[in-house]
Amino acid sequence: MNINIKDLRFTYPTGLEALKGINLTIDSGEQVAIVGQNGAGKTTLVRHFNGLLKPASGSVIIGGWDTAKYSVAKLASRVGYVFQNPDEQLFSRDVLTEVSFGPRNLGYSKEKIDELVKRAMALTELNDKAETNPYDLSPTWRKMVALASIIAMDTSIVIFDEPTTGQDAVNVGRIAHVIAELKKEGKTVITITHDIDFCAENFERVIALSKGQVLLDGHTREVLGQEETLAQTYVDPPQLTRLGKRLGLKETVTRQEEFMQAIT
Amino acid sequence: MHERLSFHIQRDSFLHRLNPLTKLVLTLALILIAFTFPWYWTPHILVLIAIIPLSIVGKVFREFSLTALRLIIPAAGFLFLMQAFFQPIGEDVIFKFYFLDITSESLMFAFRNAMRVFVMVSAFTLFLVTTHPSELMSDLTRRGLPGQFAYVIISTLQILPQMQAKAQTIISAQRSRGLDTESSFFKRAGSLIPLIGPLVFGSLVEVEERAIAIEARGFTSRHVKTSLHEIPDSAFDQFLRWALLALIIVSIGLNLWPS
Repeated sequence: MNINIKDLRFTYPTGLEALKGINLTIDSGEQVAIVGQNGAGKTTLVRHFNGLLKPASGSVIIGGWDTAKYSVAKLASRVGYVFQNPDEQLFSRDVLTEVSFGPRNLGYSKEKIDELVKRAMALTELNDKAETNPYDLSPTWRKMVALASIIAMDTSIVIFDEPTTGQDAVNVGRIAHVIAELKKEGKTVITITHDIDFCAENFERVIALSKGQVLLDGHTREVLGQEETLAQTYVDPPQLTRLGKRLGLKETVTRQEEFMQAIT
Repeated sequence: MHERLSFHIQRDSFLHRLNPLTKLVLTLALILIAFTFPWYWTPHILVLIAIIPLSIVGKVFREFSLTALRLIIPAAGFLFLMQAFFQPIGEDVIFKFYFLDITSESLMFAFRNAMRVFVMVSAFTLFLVTTHPSELMSDLTRRGLPGQFAYVIISTLQILPQMQAKAQTIISAQRSRGLDTESSFFKRAGSLIPLIGPLVFGSLVEVEERAIAIEARGFTSRHVKTSLHEIPDSAFDQFLRWALLALIIVSIGLNLWPS
């Protein structure tokens, strides 16, 4: 399911012009990271994908659906959106009910809901916590419940808003695993992140936003290699990439294996 | 993205620059004079010579007149009707409506009371609009108001806009999960639970966190605290406060004078 964005502009009621003409195409099954300084328009952009915000001008088309003409509840069957703060969405008495809330809203059959919930719980390693109240879990696990509750909706496109903020290495690893599994299933994953190592290791394409416009867009290696341009939106390339540059490596490296290969 | 966190409107005006306590005294003076000065047309004149000019001096005339039209005038108008109908005074009946009589006396009485209420609400509105709540509270605590009291007032003023912003995010998050908030009434009524849960729980957590945060900054400490913001209190402010106080005393005095 493709995402087509044409000359998207958006201004908040306060008069803040958050998006100033965005043109993008994201193909089915792509793994895209969106980076950029605070206030660059990252969240504003992805909130257009599931219709939470409607374009002031231009258009956002999700697999043939113009988001301006569909309700958020309708678009939820195509685009899942994991909010940054799990506490803003969890309300059920136990994890199982919480995770099945989304698929039930989408009106799937009983069997399909059971299957989707089971798969989502397994993917996020929540199986032993099905009966627990989400608020008795630690913040890291609440985050996983939030992830599971969106994954269970089985949408073609999944959006994560800063999934690794405040998470330890083990949980970042779990989130990376979830993203890798979603990729295997052919889902499109779009992630807003400030964690540039996480971005380098898990995404093929990086879009850098700056002041409401696309600054860079391309393969992760190409984008992260452009240190000076990225500096405009206060993004530092990963340490390995910068080290490689200083060492005078010909190619831009973003991951450990690439780095090791390049120096041996 | 954030809405205003209080009624305060930031402008640079004479009224904004006055010391918060002076403005509080001014507000109280307007209200007390409107209610006690023993001359029928006092509140009416106050609107003309004080409320409207102050809103212009404070550069908030447009916002003030909107609030007045939408809120204060309807409320005062309602009061006027109620009192005009139900005040059993006077013999000079001008208008009869079933068993209700309107006399010229009750009409005059209601008109004055409505204007008094208008002055009261308007004065407070102007005060809130031109005074930043935290500025008012730091000035009052500096003058000896207990910090706990200031905290209660500040948090009451801010809780509604904050909860509103939080509720908005929660609604967005649940709509993203396919919650239908746009269709039939029954569907929407059922969709309240997923919204209220996070809101109430989140607010409780926030209260606790805030209590810890302010205590970490020595909230209940008994030492004299300094303030980062110096709130100016000019000689003119002090003069104005004493003058207003004198006016209040004169007004109440005249009211109590045996006539």
